Amino acid sequence: MHWGTLFDYICKGLDTSAPLAFAALGGVFSEKSGVVNIALEGGMLFSAFSIVWGSIIFHSLWLGLLFAVVIGMAFAAIHAVVTITYKVNQIISGVALNILAEGIARFLSQNIFGQETQSAMNPYSFPSYRGMNVFSLVVIPVAILSWFVLNKTVFGLRLRSVGENPEAADTLGINVTLMRYSGVLISGAMCGLSAAVLYPSRWVSGMTGGRGFIALAAMIFGRWSPIGAVLASLLFGYADAARISFASSIQIPSQFVQMFPYVLAVVVLAGVVGRSRAPAADGVPYEKGED
Amino acid sequence: MPMNAAAAAPSSGGDPAAGSVLLRMEGITKAFPGVVANDKISLELRAGEVLALVGENGAGKSTLMKILYGLYRPDSGEILVRDRTTRIAGPRDAISQGIGMVHQHFMLIPPFTVLENIVLGSETSRLGVLSYAKPRAAAAKLIELNNLHIDLGASVEHLPVGLQQQVEILKILYRGAEILIFDEPTAVLTPQESDELFKTFRQMRAQGKGIIFISHKLDEVLDIADRITVIRRGKVIRTLDRAEATKPLIAELMVGKPVILNVDNPRLPPGPAVLEVDKLGFVNAEGVAALRDVSFRVRSGEIYGIAGVEGNGQSELIRAIAYRTRISGGSVRLLGADLSGLDVRSRRELGLAHIPEDRHKFGLLLSFSLADNFILGSHYKKPFVSVLRTQVRRQIAENARRLIAQFDVRAPSEQTPAHALSGGNQQKVIIAREMSAKPRLLLANQPTRGVDVGATEFIYKQLVEAKKNGAAVLLVSADLDEVMSLSDRIGVMFKGSIIKEFERESATKEEVGFYMMGEKAR
Amino acid sequence: MKRFNRYALYEVMAPLVGFAASMALLMLIVVAVGENPGNAVDAIWKMTFATSTRTATVLSTSVPLFLAGLAVAFAFRANIFNIGVEGQYFIGGLVGAMAGIYVPLPAFLHIPFVVLAAMIGGALWAAIPAALKVGRGIHEVITTIMFNNIALALVNYLVNGPMSGLGATGSLEPQTRHILPTALFANIDWLFRAAGWNVPDSVYLDYSLPVAVLAGVLVWFILFRLRIGFDLRAVGTSTDVSLYAGIKVAKVQLGAFLFSGALAGLVGLQEIFAVRGYYTFQIASGLGFDGIAIALIGRNSPVGVAFAALLFAFLRQAGYGLQFFTKVPNSVISVITGLMILIIVVSNELVSRYIKALRKKEAM
Repeated sequence: MHWGTLFDYICKGLDTSAPLAFAALGGVFSEKSGVVNIALEGGMLFSAFSIVWGSIIFHSLWLGLLFAVVIGMAFAAIHAVVTITYKVNQIISGVALNILAEGIARFLSQNIFGQETQSAMNPYSFPSYRGMNVFSLVVIPVAILSWFVLNKTVFGLRLRSVGENPEAADTLGINVTLMRYSGVLISGAMCGLSAAVLYPSRWVSGMTGGRGFIALAAMIFGRWSPIGAVLASLLFGYADAARISFASSIQIPSQFVQMFPYVLAVVVLAGVVGRSRAPAADGVPYEKGED
Repeated sequence: MPMNAAAAAPSSGGDPAAGSVLLRMEGITKAFPGVVANDKISLELRAGEVLALVGENGAGKSTLMKILYGLYRPDSGEILVRDRTTRIAGPRDAISQGIGMVHQHFMLIPPFTVLENIVLGSETSRLGVLSYAKPRAAAAKLIELNNLHIDLGASVEHLPVGLQQQVEILKILYRGAEILIFDEPTAVLTPQESDELFKTFRQMRAQGKGIIFISHKLDEVLDIADRITVIRRGKVIRTLDRAEATKPLIAELMVGKPVILNVDNPRLPPGPAVLEVDKLGFVNAEGVAALRDVSFRVRSGEIYGIAGVEGNGQSELIRAIAYRTRISGGSVRLLGADLSGLDVRSRRELGLAHIPEDRHKFGLLLSFSLADNFILGSHYKKPFVSVLRTQVRRQIAENARRLIAQFDVRAPSEQTPAHALSGGNQQKVIIAREMSAKPRLLLANQPTRGVDVGATEFIYKQLVEAKKNGAAVLLVSADLDEVMSLSDRIGVMFKGSIIKEFERESATKEEVGFYMMGEKAR
Repeated sequence: MKRFNRYALYEVMAPLVGFAASMALLMLIVVAVGENPGNAVDAIWKMTFATSTRTATVLSTSVPLFLAGLAVAFAFRANIFNIGVEGQYFIGGLVGAMAGIYVPLPAFLHIPFVVLAAMIGGALWAAIPAALKVGRGIHEVITTIMFNNIALALVNYLVNGPMSGLGATGSLEPQTRHILPTALFANIDWLFRAAGWNVPDSVYLDYSLPVAVLAGVLVWFILFRLRIGFDLRAVGTSTDVSLYAGIKVAKVQLGAFLFSGALAGLVGLQEIFAVRGYYTFQIASGLGFDGIAIALIGRNSPVGVAFAALLFAFLRQAGYGLQFFTKVPNSVISVITGLMILIIVVSNELVSRYIKALRKKEAM
């Protein structure tokens, strides 16, 4: 193989990994605080719409990105209210939000761009290098920062405590609700960042194509740690890039190449679970004792 | 006699702060749907004293302490800390007022280290970044000062129960608590560990702190308390000074009538062995040998009690008998049949019945009706199932009505969901179900945990009844008194083994306690 | 008995409140888009209940939705989140279609045969996630989602490759060969006409409707009349309690998962055997996710699921009505559906807490 091709592959792989990595980091924050968030998929999709929309409104990609982050957080806030305040089953809320996200994005697209299934082109874009959106590199400092926040700060210690034993945290005066809201909102912000690397040039209906779910698999494979989640995302991302880069040179029907990341995810989960442990109170709404 | 020797040591200390009132609760009232948990309760705690709060399960002690700690809001009444009226809206307020609480169920984050658990919620930080240097030094000092023995770097989930409790104590001392609440702290300890705890109490008392000690073990209360407040049915019945308190007096105040928990429990001529456990071993998923070489027999017509500090393999032992198919060595036989290859249903068919330790987790389908709960475990058999495998609803309802009457379960109807019942009545449902199966072997794991004295007496009677009917009863309880008063023979479990067996007549609390510590095994 | 009716009444309130609130929201959106709410209501009416054709269409649309909801609900009862209904009906439909294309049988055998084949196909696609859950403790939510994507790619490959019927059918759209006429689902409008309801031929009220009704009755009977249903609901309530009571938890969950997959296999019957007459990977997608919402709103009971499916069918037709007759886009229905689910689950939660407190009071 030519060195140039290899280098292209490295760049391309980072490009495909980055959206997964941002979303997986979002999953880590949410689940470490005790809230399962399968609405990552919807959050990514809605944010992907918002970055295009925001850039066009504000005539700036950066403001568009900020807008996408804010929208991602607002969207996650619904999940937070429903699951934390009203203690509704977290999976069900996630399913409803995924339906909602698709609906809102299409609805807005119809009203703003006159087309239900895709937006206008975004005239602004991040520079790209050998097929890689350079914003992808931002995932590295964000991952390190996430690790630092979770493990070295007061906020991180408290966030993790409410995901393990919310009752204990409560008796120490830690605001469980606030911490869980924070975890979920951060996951929303991460969805916003993922929009910057997914395809900021145009929103297309269904463009996330299950990446939010793959990100969840990456998070589990990465044992709920930020660094692990990003490494697992790289695994999925590079597998996907291999499909794009080398599919033409291998004699396999494209559909099999297409299902490869999903099969990989199942195989990886089948191999890893049992050795990894979710936060003890992950997915369990916190009921304050008095009733 | 280490208990009494220690008790004689420091009592009226020379601390200048001693005697001043730290805390006053006045007219505290708290009602839950259907029950007034606290009815105009007033009490007072002075600096440098241990105030024992005694009363039966459900008398309202825990509710009162949860109010003091800000976990519950009182309907009316006042709390004064150092003579100042205080509103305690949450644990944070309580902590800032110098109130700390060691809960009955430990409030620890298992994967965190001891130090992380200590600082959580009161962290030292710069710009939000944790700094551990100062907390580590402060905690080390507190460890030394208060007769504790903990490694700050250890992960809490790997610590034994006694040490986890020390972490809890350290947590509240670290927050500078002057008023310390202990909610049944000795329930999970051996007599010897309790002695260690009381040493710590005395040291804290000498430092001028006020301690509220909740217990229903009267010996301990008399051993450590300076004053004793008795609560019954949500009311303060009387507060006694140590000098005027005697065991019969406290007991009488607690229940309102002289206690006769001595159920008529005659020793019967032993029948043939029903349960035979031989060299049973079990290695759990973490690779730890939870059971090693456990051997004992339970015969028809006897109650065999397992004494031991919780977490020494009792749960594993019960599971091995009740349902587990994978064991690491040895054998378990029920009426001669090897259980290792049998599923739960076959074991029940052989005559196994089981009162599990946590009725909510293991015993009842809370959202199901009582009728459905009564047939659980025999629901697949005639008369509850027809030839076509459909359920026979008439039989199911009739069965429920019969058991409700026979076991005096208080419920609106047999269609009421189980979650609506009180704890004692829920336990009655389980006992009715298990007893109605006419068991040959009855496993009773913590059968009276969290039920009131009336239900406790009822449960004791049922266990004795089972034995009189020729069943073999295996009783596991963290309450040594319960084991001592019900069992014909006692096996002491320590670190996964039965290290000593006693006949009822030759067992003393002291000696059983020593074995519970593993002292004599070494 | 009076009390229990009262509780049942409260339980019905939550979905009604959710429906009313979401309709109000819909009208707000209509106004925001600059449309006259009167027009919108009129448009919805025209597309749903104005004529017997429209009403029949709502009923017809509800059939696959009901089956999807039923499949999810059955698994839910055993505390299994079958998000894989989507993939299971794609594969189930494919296996059913294969039975219809390649196995010549007389009609009276062929119809039950393809139904059975579809069920087996759906169950097979549920088998690996089910085995991974029961055997290795891997949460089914992630695995079934992965299997949905794998299923889509797989049927795409099969329809384009080994099972392609392009030359045979003369269509340019990738599809299989035509299903044998003996296996096609005929309309049963004669039945409705006999009952006095004049359903036009153009509406698909076919054999899939009685199949759905039978499936619903079967599920109800299993859950609430058979011992195995007691086992299943017990496992769904608490695996620990069930284990102690001698119920074989793993077996029950495995069985429930597989049967849920089998029910899912029925979802595509109407489109494949009545509407198209061949199989393609372009059959309607997303029904599996609708099924989750439908099961939830129907509180996992067959009757409730039937109502919820009709509600969803109504919403879907309402969306078309808005699209045809007003300037409100169809996607507003997805928005409303998502919001409605959220409102309903929140009010469900509040209501069940209230009922619990009431019952506790009553028992004291």
